[in-house]
Order: sequence, then structure tokens, then C-alpha cells
Amino acid sequence: MSFSRLPSLYDWPLVAYGDYQDKTMVVKFTDIDYHVFTDAARFITEGQSPYNRSTYRYTPLLAWLLTPNIYLSMVFGKILFIVCDVLSGLLIYKILLLKGLGTEAALRVCSLWLLNPLPIGVSSRGNAESILAALVLGTLLCMEARHLMWGAILYGLSVHMKIYPVTYALPIALSLRTTETRSEDKKGMKSLMRFIRSFLNRELFLFASVAAGVFCVLTALFYYMYGWEFLHETYLYHLTRRDIRHNFSPYFYMLYLTADSGWSQWLGLAAFLPQLILLLVASWAFHSDLSFCCFLHTAIFVSFNKVCTSQYFLWYLCLLPLVIPHLSLSLKQGVGLLILWFAGQGLWLGPAYFLEFEGYNTFLWIWLAGLLFLIINSFILIQIVSHYKPTQTPQRLKVE
Amino acid sequence: MYFVLVSVLACLASCHCFIERDEKKENHCGLLQHWIESTLVSMQIIKKGFHREVETTVELSPDVHSGVRVLLLHRWPRGVYVDPYQLASLSDLNDWKILLDSTIDLEGPAHKTTGFVTFVYPTPDGPTPTLLKVTIPIHGRYHEPSFVAETFTSVEIEPPELLLWTEKCIPLNNVEPHDVMEAPCTHHNSSSCQWVKQQHQKKERGPVNVQFPVVKLYSSYSGVDYRVPLDASSQFTVIFSPYFCSA
Repeated sequence: MSFSRLPSLYDWPLVAYGDYQDKTMVVKFTDIDYHVFTDAARFITEGQSPYNRSTYRYTPLLAWLLTPNIYLSMVFGKILFIVCDVLSGLLIYKILLLKGLGTEAALRVCSLWLLNPLPIGVSSRGNAESILAALVLGTLLCMEARHLMWGAILYGLSVHMKIYPVTYALPIALSLRTTETRSEDKKGMKSLMRFIRSFLNRELFLFASVAAGVFCVLTALFYYMYGWEFLHETYLYHLTRRDIRHNFSPYFYMLYLTADSGWSQWLGLAAFLPQLILLLVASWAFHSDLSFCCFLHTAIFVSFNKVCTSQYFLWYLCLLPLVIPHLSLSLKQGVGLLILWFAGQGLWLGPAYFLEFEGYNTFLWIWLAGLLFLIINSFILIQIVSHYKPTQTPQRLKVE
Repeated sequence: MYFVLVSVLACLASCHCFIERDEKKENHCGLLQHWIESTLVSMQIIKKGFHREVETTVELSPDVHSGVRVLLLHRWPRGVYVDPYQLASLSDLNDWKILLDSTIDLEGPAHKTTGFVTFVYPTPDGPTPTLLKVTIPIHGRYHEPSFVAETFTSVEIEPPELLLWTEKCIPLNNVEPHDVMEAPCTHHNSSSCQWVKQQHQKKERGPVNVQFPVVKLYSSYSGVDYRVPLDASSQFTVIFSPYFCSA
């Protein structure tokens, strides 16, 4: 089966339709982010900083990649994102094969990504999430195949593009450390020393230095080109961001109410705590299966984040196909969880629409829907964790 | 003798020319004064929620000459903003052009931003029709949490000021009681012109109040408050007081 043939059934017509809708209708198909990227790319072609474009909060690398939008055609970026989508599908397939899944089963699981309307819709609307999906999956493939150098390069690049892959550092480190034979020696100090020493090995050192090297070189290069603005917009803004405008995260309500209070900065930092604790626990429990661990990490990160928009879902959805073969959930249960997930979003979108486009004061309902969505996400994650089977040969999908 | 006669004739001719030019100019300035007094400006705000449209209609006097330029000056409060990128994409579809006086903060809350001014040129090129319509998309900002019972905050939007310019009345004088104002000649903002500003604006409506939802803070325990008021713009609110104390 040729990978390139599958998405072409949906993606290219969708891009063409999107172009038509943009030109003729008031409600645009293309996401505002795509225009932000294109405007930033235009500034680069004029020899200026991409940060002249207000709300451009990404790495300059993205704007550089999209300069053909100006030189060739506006649709170049969307084509690039779709190609990355297809590439992600291919990477998922290869990882599943490496993990021991049969060709047919791997293809079936892969189609969950390739034929999924969500990534297709996101990429054809012009969001750049698929680039990061491809990078993260590339890192995981290299780790699975033990090509540590390439894995480190891709990992460094991923972290440069978006901050969230930095959370994978802990499970990667835990998976690369020297696994020692169980010792009866339970003396606190000695086992702690042994634990720390297990991190000091050649592989981990190679990975850490190459990844850090790539990240530092890119940061230094863009800092030299664009200065403090690059650091602030690409990284610091996201770390200190306290978005008071409504989004899926229930934190928005608290941040809106306390925006002018002296405590707002501390509250913003405190909101990192639940994420941090859960990430540490997940890393320790599941680092032996890197794909599963990374999926959990990303899902926890997105669900408990101070800001949550639907684009973020793609960050963990691209890793879900790697996890599915290891789950002992039945098809009925899986579909049930999926419906629950969509229902949670629907319950939020209702009041959000009435607030933004009809002018009703539905702030409280939006907050409650956000809380419910968080509960639903937590429930789904608990179901996934409790039905996870870390076997060598993953089970095929159970069909009732 | 002939030389004296010719020079006197030449002088008389040029004096006549100057007088004629002055008279013509006074005529045009008088006409300008008449046009600005007879022009009607009306504004209405359509759509609901945080994304509205401000529709301004200008009815010029039918005897307005071509070559008269119109400028609509909006002074916007800080509770709303325009998206310059949206305006740039719209300018390809519209025949009106807009100029902003400052960079717009697209994300800041109302109490942390300032108002701004826009210069709208309804017909930058070509002849001036007698009926002009300009629709500007605006967006509401998030406002400070409210400490009182109101869950909506009101933003007052003034109708625009009308300014006229014609090249046949330069420099501008004798246009009392109307003021003369310096403003960019075109949306390119490459030069400044003197415009006549309509003094006693013949408005069909006064300032328009736009309501935006805002979160409510409570300083004390309060019971369930179920109100269904109906205001002039036919919005209704259901206010449900939560049982919690404010930060």
C-alpha cells in the first residue's frame, strides 16, 4: 500500500476547497495562525524580523520554512504540513513494526492517523502541528531503533520548535540509564548513589550533549539574528503566559479573576505543580515503554495546562496509534471513551459560542464545562493506564 | 503711450484674473461650507457578542463636486479594538481604505490598553458618490472583573467625525463655525492636508452603547439571583450567583 495515495483522497481536495471558501465566504476556512506564519515569512523576505508580526510566537525557523509562501504560492505551507502528516503516518507504521506488530495490524492502526479527519482538517487549515508530530515520531523511531545520534538531533530540534517535548527528557534519561541487576542492598544512601550513577553512561551522555548542542546552536543563531524578542516570543511568553480569555482549560477563569492581583504570578507558577507531579510519576512508572510514556506525558501536559486549545490535542493524538496495540480495551470501550471525549468538547463549545458570537454571559458555564472536560480527560487517561499491557508482542485490537 | 496702455491693460487683466480666482475660491469654500452643513452621518452597530460591525452611512448633498474628498474620523474607546490584519485582508474587497494612528494590542484587556483613532477614506480614488457606506469590523476586549451585580460592561462608541477637503479651497479660511483640522491626505499617510470638520453634526443617533459580558467577583456569600431583564438591544441574561467568595 502506498502511503502517498491515502491522504490524497482527502487532503488536496480539502486544500482546494479551503482556498475557494477563503475567497468567497465571510467565515474563512484557513486558520488565523496560517496568516500569522505567512505574514512573518513576508517580513523575513523583506529582511526584517518575523516578530514584527504581532502574535507570532513561534521559532523563526517556521517562518523561514514558509518563505516559499511568498515566493511561490500561499498554499506551499499547507502542502508542507500535509506532507508532514503523511510522514507521521509512515513513522507510526515503522515504529509499530519495530515494536513487533504485524504488517497488517500496523497498517490498520496507522490508518487511524492517516484517515483521521482531525489531523487532516488541522493541516489543511494551515496549523503547523504536523511538523512537530513528525519530529517527535522521528525521535521515537530513532530511540526504538537505537540510533541515538539522530534521535538526539531530532529531539533537540523538537524542543526548539515547541517547549512541551522537553518533558520527554526524563523518561528518555530513565530509559537510557544503565539497568542494573536487582540488588538486595536496600541501604538508602548506597541505592541512591547507584541510582545516580546509573545515569552516567556513554549513551545518555551522547544523547544529552547532542540534543543540548542542537538546541543551543539554534537558540544562539536566532538570538544573534533577532535578539531578545526571539527568546521572549518563542519561549518566555509560553512559560509565563496567563491567558484570561476563554479556552478549554478551567484555569482561565481563575486567571481572569486574579489577573490584577499581586498573587497572579505565583498562581501562574503554582498551576505548574499538578502537571509536574503527574509527569514525574508517569515517567517513573512507564519509562520502559518510551512511546507510551511520551503519550501519557503529552496528554497530562495538555490536559492540566493553564491554556488548552484544540490544536494541542494533536500533540498526543499522533502518539495514540503507538499506544493502541498495547491496550486491552475492547472496541466498544474505545469508541465509548472517544465519544465521551468529543462530548466534553461539545459541552464546552456550546457556551463558548454563545459568549463570543451571541453576547450572553456564559463565563461560569464555560468554566464548569472546562472542569468537566478535565475530569473526562483524567478518566480517559486512567482507563488507558489501567488497561495498558506492557507485553513484548502487543495484542491486536479486540473486536467484540 | 502704447506701452503705457498695454501695461495698464495687462495689469487690469491680471488683477481681474486674481479677483476671479479669489471669487471662484470663495465660491468653492462657500460651497464646501454648504456641503459640510448639509451632509448627514449616521452610525449603527450590527451583530452580537464580542465581534461587531460598525456601519457608517454618509449622505452627501447631491450637488457635491467630484474632487471632494471625504474623511471619517473615528475615536474609539479602549473597550474595543480593530484587527489591522483583518482590515488589510478586507481592503482588497472594499473600496474604502483605513489608516490607524497607533499599533493595536490585539490581546490586552481593556483597562490595560488605550483608545485609538482611525481615519477612514470612503473613496480614495475616483468620483465621490452621494451615498457612502463603510462597515468596520470591531472586536470587544475582555474587561476588568466586575465587583457589582452587573455582568455586562458598557462601551460607548461615538459616531465618526466628518471631514471634507477639496483642492479648490486651499488654503482653508472663512469656514466658520466649522473647524479646520490637520489630517493625513490619504491612507498612505505621506502628506498632511487641512480638512473642514463638521461642527454641529447632524446625527441621526447619538453615541451607541455596546455591551460585553464580564465575569463577576463577589465579596460576600450571596444566594441564587435569577434575573431576566430585557434591554433595548434585546439581549437577555440569566445570572446565576455561585456560592463562593472572591479572591
